[in-house]
Amino acid sequence: MLARVTGRPELLGVPAETPLFGAGVGLDSLAGTLLLRQVQRRYGVDVAAEDLNLDSLETLSTLATFIAARL
Amino acid sequence: MIKCVVWDIDNTLLTGVYLESGADLPGADPGLTGVLRELSARGILSAIASRNPPAAADYVQQVTGADFAAVECGWGSKADAIARIAAELSLAPDVIAFVDDDMLERAEVAAAQPDVLVLTPEEAAEAPAWPEFSPAVITAEARRRSQLYAERRRRQAAANEFGGSRDDFLRHAGTQLTIAPAVPDDLPRLHELSVRTHQLNSAGEPVTQPDLARLLASPADAVITVRLADDFGDDGLVGAAIMTGNGGSSGPDVHVPARALVATVPLIMMSCRALGRGALDALLAWLCRSAAADGAAELRVPCLVTERNVPMRLALAAAGLRAEAGSVAPDGRAVFTRPLTGELPQLPDWVTVK
Repeated sequence: MLARVTGRPELLGVPAETPLFGAGVGLDSLAGTLLLRQVQRRYGVDVAAEDLNLDSLETLSTLATFIAARL
Repeated sequence: MIKCVVWDIDNTLLTGVYLESGADLPGADPGLTGVLRELSARGILSAIASRNPPAAADYVQQVTGADFAAVECGWGSKADAIARIAAELSLAPDVIAFVDDDMLERAEVAAAQPDVLVLTPEEAAEAPAWPEFSPAVITAEARRRSQLYAERRRRQAAANEFGGSRDDFLRHAGTQLTIAPAVPDDLPRLHELSVRTHQLNSAGEPVTQPDLARLLASPADAVITVRLADDFGDDGLVGAAIMTGNGGSSGPDVHVPARALVATVPLIMMSCRALGRGALDALLAWLCRSAAADGAAELRVPCLVTERNVPMRLALAAAGLRAEAGSVAPDGRAVFTRPLTGELPQLPDWVTVK
């Protein structure tokens, strides 16, 4: 999902603990919005509505935990 | 107010059917060609949704001389094509109009996209006289909008082919971002941005030109503009921020502890054309660094929390700003803050500060 929204196939193998913001993945507003939209479509979890600070986007691992707790 | 008109080709923009005309292709409808030109001059975009091969859109572009911001040629549903155009241009359905001579196509779009304004070609010919097609102020950026979107299509195609990271592409494309204090000539465009931006707007309400002029004249406030250009085109003034210090206090009275200077940013706004091009991240990095250089200990950004401005919240989070959990006020606002100590966000080397 991350590889698709960023258009960077090399992110397919990114470790779950890599920070999504800043160096490393460098998730920006555009890719972040697309990622949240995909998450909502696939899992029915509206992360933006439930997480004011979007801290769940810190890493793929925190995002997965956030989603799993709401499934 | 309509921001984009999605046009059918056969028997609408052309005076016949593209695929049924053999070598003798139909010409452009003269009335609607005039409408295309008039809408473009008012900053209203045009796009194509057609059951034709992509070559038909190139042909229409050639015979009408119009710039199309998005093109959907294919045999799928037109309601889906409009949804893709809306997503590509970051527009809500209620600012889109759809023009088609075919009653069934109009009915399908009206049913699937009730917020889209659905028109016959005859109605579209009259539309320039209607209020929803008549913006009150038309800025230089607005007059060039169709051209800017056509440049954006070429930039997007190049980005899709480019292998590296976003930063590598921004460098490769010769991206130049200029941060400078606003001048009086910027006021109409700043007002327009405050009205038109939603996804990347922290305040969620328009700022009038007199209010902007007052802020510009006030020594306690700073109005900061962002201009963006690259090898594909010059987008001009794409964003701005207002920053206000509290003046701090370090009075002579030793019994009153010094109050830390807090820099408050009541408005950050950025055109969606700048989405994905690092402009908002760079502006936030500059705000942090500039406030810190002025001696502020904290940056505060009050932000309306809505479904539409999630991209703004993402940028705030990426720049290290956080709001207290559950602190959204009854008016829908939360205050995002960050201390201005430790490591501040980096300004990329393609940013020029004036």
